[in-house]
Amino acid sequence: MSEALLSLRGVRKAYGAVEAVRGVDLDIGAGEVLALCGDNGAGKSSLVKVIAGAQAASSGTMTLRGREVAFHSPEDALRGGIATIYQDLALAPRMSIAENVFLGSELTRGPLGLPFPRLLDRRRMMTEALGYLQRLNPALTDMARPVEGLSGGQRQAVAIARALRWKAELVIMDEPTAALGVRETAQVLDLIRRLRGEGRAVLLVSHSMADVCAVATRVAIMKAGHKVIDRTVAGLDPDMLAHMIMTGQGTEVAPAG
Amino acid sequence: MTALLSRFGTALAGFLVLLFFGAFAENFASPGNLSLILKDTAFLAVLAIGFTLALATAELDLSIADVASLAAVVTGALIQGGTMPALAVLAGLATGLGAGLVNGFAVTVLGVPSLIATLGTAAVARGFGFMITQGVAFVGRWPREFTGLARGSLLGVSNMIWWMAAIGLLAWVLLKRTRTGLHMLATGEADEAARLAGIRTRRMKRLGLALAGLLAGVTAVLLAASLSSAAPNMAGDHFLYAIAAVLLGMTMIEPGRPNIPGTLLAAFMLKALGNGLVLLGAPYYAQDIALGVIITGSVALSSTVMRRAAFTKRLNLRAAA
Repeated sequence: MSEALLSLRGVRKAYGAVEAVRGVDLDIGAGEVLALCGDNGAGKSSLVKVIAGAQAASSGTMTLRGREVAFHSPEDALRGGIATIYQDLALAPRMSIAENVFLGSELTRGPLGLPFPRLLDRRRMMTEALGYLQRLNPALTDMARPVEGLSGGQRQAVAIARALRWKAELVIMDEPTAALGVRETAQVLDLIRRLRGEGRAVLLVSHSMADVCAVATRVAIMKAGHKVIDRTVAGLDPDMLAHMIMTGQGTEVAPAG
Repeated sequence: MTALLSRFGTALAGFLVLLFFGAFAENFASPGNLSLILKDTAFLAVLAIGFTLALATAELDLSIADVASLAAVVTGALIQGGTMPALAVLAGLATGLGAGLVNGFAVTVLGVPSLIATLGTAAVARGFGFMITQGVAFVGRWPREFTGLARGSLLGVSNMIWWMAAIGLLAWVLLKRTRTGLHMLATGEADEAARLAGIRTRRMKRLGLALAGLLAGVTAVLLAASLSSAAPNMAGDHFLYAIAAVLLGMTMIEPGRPNIPGTLLAAFMLKALGNGLVLLGAPYYAQDIALGVIITGSVALSSTVMRRAAFTKRLNLRAAA
């Protein structure tokens, strides 16, 4: 990681008297999968919300591609190239797959080739949504289907397709495999590798040590609002990682054998 | 089959009611009576379209009828005082739009639930209406260029019907064919998801409420032009009808979602029902009772239809797996 895509310095987030994030420095580089780990209440979600523009930081600075930024809304973050896939997936259940993939960035065209008025180009959205989803879940073919009837893995695919659609340089995934079965998990991990291969950065919030060891290049561990560990994943196994998260201690535990 | 039934079931039931009236109420099916119903539907439809647009963003506008009455009174007062009709019309529209903007401000900036905020606006509008008229109605020989807005006809079709068609079409295009409309629906159906997708949900809610107000203003102008008069509470009768039309409309075409074709169809069905009941000699209060049953019944129906649909979808999934 020569030059960071996104850098956080001294970021704090307080909710009234409760300080969830207590001054975190963090760098994420292109082509990197950074796992953000920690117990419940360690401050991961709050930190993610700040990066995603869903909540403003109480203090501290964020630098995106060398320029200081302040996100006041998710829209700001999206425009900056940061797309977030939330734990609850943030889909509109009654809307179709295509509408969800393009939600907030719909395609339009003028009628009969005129520049105005701009009307929704539903056909192109269906075709392109199918294109995005075929990489993720080839079983999904009917883009007009409402999301409410889909399984957890299928919804995850829709949510990821939306992030791809934004052509985000940094994709934040909050527990992307928590609700998934074995095969669907493998698909998501595969996708994370592919995103990395395309030179994008991925911030992976996960409780799954196996997932972290399988795809992450670096891991940052939070405890009580502080970042206590930040190191490469190389040489770690899930047990060591779990130990680090529980104790907040580094790798003094000698690798066995 | 289930899908068809859930989309058109209530429309079919409504059609059967119309057939019943056609068979038993003399004159009901005469062209004259049907076109009367259609013209009468227009006022209701324009008002209800406004309510539909606000409800699309999941906000209720309970002030539409009182705002429409106030806007009619403002227009009427100006016409009566000899103001140019065009200016009087603009003032009426501005009154409606203004009330809609106030509602939007109260809901999205002050954080007052729309149920409460629009009730407050309704009371204020009613108060202003009585203040301007001092409780009496403005009636007069109003200039034809004003009354013609509602009374004239084009190609043998009443202007009222043209207004209803044009406004219905515009609202449908907005809701179904533009990004803004999709964002309004997304705001109404999944506020948080829409916000996280970068949609400015509060702006969408303001837009929905502003359009509801504006269309209350349009209804007011058309009512005043049609009756050559303006009185406080003149749109009051349309209040429950408009709400019933939108809710009944939500059981059709796109079940569970406020939609323009559903609203239009339901508005016509309700007006036909009222007309048929009168022709059959039903007592005046029968209409209110029927409306009440329809309002509650529609919502019960759309929520069960939705539950059923989700249920059958799950069954299909399991069968496929």
